[in-house]
Amino acid sequence: MELNEQELIASLKSESGREEAFQLLVKTYQQRLYWHIRKIVMNHDDTDDILQNVFIKVWKNVDGFREDSSLFTWMFKIATNESLSHLQKLRRHTVVSMNEVSQYLAESLESDVYFEGDEIQRKFQLAILQLPNKQRIVFNMKYFDEMKYEEISKVLKTSVGALKASYHFAVKKIEEFLKEDHT
Amino acid sequence: MKIKDTNIETSFRGLRKDNPFRVPENYFETFSERLNTKIGEEQRVHVKRSMYITFKPFLAMAASFALLIVLIYIPYRKYYRAESNHFAQNKAVNERIDSAGGFPQALISSFSDEQFMSAFSDMDKSESKSLTSENLADFIAANYNDYEIVANN
Repeated sequence: MELNEQELIASLKSESGREEAFQLLVKTYQQRLYWHIRKIVMNHDDTDDILQNVFIKVWKNVDGFREDSSLFTWMFKIATNESLSHLQKLRRHTVVSMNEVSQYLAESLESDVYFEGDEIQRKFQLAILQLPNKQRIVFNMKYFDEMKYEEISKVLKTSVGALKASYHFAVKKIEEFLKEDHT
Repeated sequence: MKIKDTNIETSFRGLRKDNPFRVPENYFETFSERLNTKIGEEQRVHVKRSMYITFKPFLAMAASFALLIVLIYIPYRKYYRAESNHFAQNKAVNERIDSAGGFPQALISSFSDEQFMSAFSDMDKSESKSLTSENLADFIAANYNDYEIVANN
């Protein structure tokens, strides 16, 4: 079955084709959403929980989807919000400041059995983790996912100019971090 | 401030852009199955919750009625008991009156001696207070003739 977004949305909103359309939706977008979430929360188990919650929200709320953005943008938005909520919960229950959240995420990276990068990649990820959450998300979406600013703008509800500035500052900070000898 | 965005990531040219993270084996292959299980659980919880939400107004109404009944019935019952006791007492007095063969004897028998005497003394006082010279003249005129009146005087 070829994926046509309009048909898919129509099927998701109908009683008869809903389950089949949902399975197709999951198969199509699970990996992109997974990696988007994983880069924000780092840990696989947390990513798995969040991804399931994202799809459950999609399942429950698809009837109310107003189609003023693409289905993928909508799901990306849900995934981003769920991931940021997860970090906020971490901040409330586990640690007290965003610096400590970064520290917590860095520790997660160090102990992550599913991280198979080399030393340079590890340092690069640690450098990205020093960024504030929103800047980190912008950097990941632009650098790794190679999304256009216009697309990112729709997901994060931020102007293209602000995103460009955010990306620029993120790159500068990462460069600075990598110049220093962080082991 | 206008920011130039020309190949800004060339700074990281030496870095590999490929994904260094991995997932457990068969993770994506089994994901939708696990997701379906979780959705099933969520729906069961949702059904339970929605049943509770559906019946909540009825439960609240039933509780209100129960409260209303308690608030009305208990005071009414207390009042009714007091009334019925009073009625039962009256009934017993009436029965005694009937068995004694008439009102005056029964009434008299229900009084104590002191009550009886004080009632009589009150009656005397009230009668004496109401006796005027006109009444007395009428009484004499009705009971004595002129000869008896002159002879006594």
